[in-house]
Amino acid sequence: MAEISEAPDSDSSKLLGSDSKAPQRPDSEPEFDPKLMRKTKPGLKRLFLTFSVLFSFLLGFPFLWKSVEIYRSPLPFREIDSLSTQLRSDTLLFPLHFHALFVGFDSDPDRLRWSILSEITKLTSQNPKCSDNYTLRPTSSPHSSSYQCGSVTGDDFVQNDDVVVDERLASVFGGKNNEYSMAVVKGVSERAVVGKYRHAWMVVGDGSDVEMAVVKVAEVLIKVFINGGREEGLIRNEFMPVGADGKIVLSFNLLNADPHDWVYDWDFEKIDDTLLTPMIEALGPVANISVESQVLYHTPKASFSYWNQKLESYVFSTKDLPFLVNSNEWHLDTSIAAGGRSKILQFAVYVPSAKECPLLLQLPNGEISKTNGFISPMWGGVIVWNPQGCLKDSEFKPSAKNIIPIQQDLENMFEVFIGQFRQLFGFKSLNVYTGASGDWNLLPSERGFTEWELDVLSRQHTCFNLLSCATTLGSLSRLVQSLPRMIIKDEIGKQVKLSLEAAKLALSNASSGVYEFSAASSSQARSLAEDAFFHPSIMSVSYYSFEHCFAVYSPFFLPVSMHVVLAALRELRRYKQEKAKYLAWKAKANTAT
Amino acid sequence: METFINPKSLFHLLLLPCLLLYSSIAYNSSPVEAAMHTNNWAVLVCTSRFWFNYRHMANTLSLYRTVKRLGIPDERIILMLADDMACNTRNKYPAQVFNNENHRLNLYGDNVEVDYRGYEVTVENFLRVLTGRHETAVPRSKRLLSDEGSHILLYMTGHGGDEFLKFQDSEELQSHDLADAVKQMKEKHRFKELLIMVDTCQAATLFNQSPGVLAIGSSMKGENSYSHHLDSDVGVSVVDRFTYYTLAFFERLNIYDNASLSSLFSSYNPSLLMSTAYYRKDLYKRRLEEVPVTNFFGSVMETIHTDAAYKALSRRNSGRFEDEMSLDQSVHHIKRRMLIKVNDGDEIHDINPEGEEGASKCPWSTFRKKFQKAENVDSLLNYGLVAMIPLLVISTWLVQ
Repeated sequence: MAEISEAPDSDSSKLLGSDSKAPQRPDSEPEFDPKLMRKTKPGLKRLFLTFSVLFSFLLGFPFLWKSVEIYRSPLPFREIDSLSTQLRSDTLLFPLHFHALFVGFDSDPDRLRWSILSEITKLTSQNPKCSDNYTLRPTSSPHSSSYQCGSVTGDDFVQNDDVVVDERLASVFGGKNNEYSMAVVKGVSERAVVGKYRHAWMVVGDGSDVEMAVVKVAEVLIKVFINGGREEGLIRNEFMPVGADGKIVLSFNLLNADPHDWVYDWDFEKIDDTLLTPMIEALGPVANISVESQVLYHTPKASFSYWNQKLESYVFSTKDLPFLVNSNEWHLDTSIAAGGRSKILQFAVYVPSAKECPLLLQLPNGEISKTNGFISPMWGGVIVWNPQGCLKDSEFKPSAKNIIPIQQDLENMFEVFIGQFRQLFGFKSLNVYTGASGDWNLLPSERGFTEWELDVLSRQHTCFNLLSCATTLGSLSRLVQSLPRMIIKDEIGKQVKLSLEAAKLALSNASSGVYEFSAASSSQARSLAEDAFFHPSIMSVSYYSFEHCFAVYSPFFLPVSMHVVLAALRELRRYKQEKAKYLAWKAKANTAT
Repeated sequence: METFINPKSLFHLLLLPCLLLYSSIAYNSSPVEAAMHTNNWAVLVCTSRFWFNYRHMANTLSLYRTVKRLGIPDERIILMLADDMACNTRNKYPAQVFNNENHRLNLYGDNVEVDYRGYEVTVENFLRVLTGRHETAVPRSKRLLSDEGSHILLYMTGHGGDEFLKFQDSEELQSHDLADAVKQMKEKHRFKELLIMVDTCQAATLFNQSPGVLAIGSSMKGENSYSHHLDSDVGVSVVDRFTYYTLAFFERLNIYDNASLSSLFSSYNPSLLMSTAYYRKDLYKRRLEEVPVTNFFGSVMETIHTDAAYKALSRRNSGRFEDEMSLDQSVHHIKRRMLIKVNDGDEIHDINPEGEEGASKCPWSTFRKKFQKAENVDSLLNYGLVAMIPLLVISTWLVQ
């Protein structure tokens, strides 16, 4: 303010002093309004201080954001989608080689080949589109024979023992993994047999022509080797009792209905070693099977039976079957070995009490069942076994424990069990396949399943497992993408990657025809996908929602940030005002000079 | 192997070159419609705690008893009770739970298996049961092991309100959480059909976001559900109206009946219930008149008769059986004796060897024979264990 005071004096003195001089100094300091003008530049210190505080807040914000970030392991969404589309659009192709050997015929081989091909296409086009799509693309190419010409003659088939013929043919054909063979010879008696391995043979009479043989050959290829003897080719979902982790637990239970009458025991270890272990090994690629057994007492059944005078026994009908399993008293599901996602199949032998003995199952057509047993899909099977004592009750004295005799009864019982196990997988156990053009004898195998049946199982399970794996991974990816704030652990990412790798391996094995490995890796793919989907950390209740984050952090930062921002704005506004004042003064000063 | 000698011989061998065939299998995109009904499950949840909520426990136990009577076994029932009324210190009739003042029926009497009890009944556990995402150590009896052919009955009772159900007086299950869980179950094919039955206040709001399932609630939005009557002896209300009339319907049925779901749903009288029982059946394809109640409330197994046994196994093995019978019996007996010695120490039990005792006259020689043959790994292990015992005895004697 000191500058202002001098001005008027000097101005006025100068004005008074001279009128001859031109006015050299203008009307200098014009009206100086301190409210609107200032003479010096406004300082920047205050602005700098407030803005540095604001800036440090802004600088810290990304660090805060990163610290509350949800950890999500990156999932390969594109690969999952591509697997699903690949499985849905291109159907799975399993290559099969088929040899047909005609002995004693004198037709042209090429013509025979084309007639077989036409029969095959006719059969597959007859297949209605039941939920599966069969496309057989036969391409015949001349293939160097793996065995010598003349190694199989008509003499081989003269014997009547099918097993011997089967072994002979096995040594000739070799039975490699995806090669199916067929031998047709002319002979005396007509016979058509499908062997235990991967070949079949047919003996036709002298008078029959080649065309009939061709029809039968095509039929056995499609209906038996590819479809497994079922009408529609696909196993439905209720006939695939394999758990999500690829394991099945077979639980064998011996139920004594009334221990006061008699108590039965069985030598399970022996029969397990001889009958069950080979079958379990044979099914290794399809499922990992373990076996348990127990003996239960006081297990009455829940349905009723009535006395039939003609048969002299108690009879229950197929209408009672759904109510027979008395789940209140039959404590079957006490397995501790089975994990959470394994499948348990219960096989129960029911020994009736003296009041209901013998107990027979009557079929709707009036016949008595030969096996006295039934299955429930995805659950297991039950056999009713009548002890010898009830037939001749005067001689029999039930005292201490009785063991079910091995040769007579236990083996028969376990053969029925194996028949039931096959039925649970969708296979029939009759020894004859009745086709449109004739009957075929099916040779049974000691391992419970023949090689070609195992092939059918491997193929179907590969397809089912791969589809299930793709669906599960698709659901998982949709779920993960729909919840952007859910934590995805590393374990899940790893499982998804391993599952995709196993699925790729299964696909490549399938296309090269190695069915067993493809079944094993497909079941691994499915179990890994299920592990990833059912990981216990994916719970919608426990994920960190945005509202939660906001509610936690806003009491800290909201009040402080409000003050900081307001202060910065106020300082900015003040600076602008002061600057405007200064500029106004400067403008006035400039106009004055 | 014979060699091919004369081209003019009678055996004119024709070899067809191999036909390379491709068999391809493709799946229908939605196999659910084709799935067969395999089993029934029931998930019964009581979410209330404290003595004055006795009636919710009685509701759940009554439904448990009904469902068991109509055939669903314990292994397919998940029963969640949030508190223990039977052994509550305020219960004048200890270990008994009634749902009627005539005390005719003790609901806690025989064979009650509670899967989740007390504080284990939480929203998280409930959702884990529905979606199947358990820790690996959770036992099978606590899991909902349904598959794509299962029909599930989900019954919830407790205190509820607009779009929520109260759990344990401390947390809530929101209707969108339930809808989310049901959607995930549907995606993973964990059920073929699902019936949700809710007995709380404003019950119908709990499932209004769950699509595609059959659901019935005891009251609509804005209405309360009331208890039926007060038992002056026990001191609390013992049953809710909706459940009471449901049970009255089921007491008339047995396992063989086929009353339909529509008769159940139409048996609720709004004036007796003092609320409107609302049911929803969107996207449920079958007509309710055709669906028997045992579809959800009972258990009817699908059965298929076994036509034939698989006979191929006895021929080869029967000979082997006879040869090894006596040998193996003796191994069996020796093994058993060894085991008993190992297990019981000084006690000697009188074993009953079941008849064929003759082979083990001279146990030492058979023992040596077995040892040399090393046939049975188990028995070898037992022999080793038994051999260690004298060593142990000697060493302890030496030490002392």
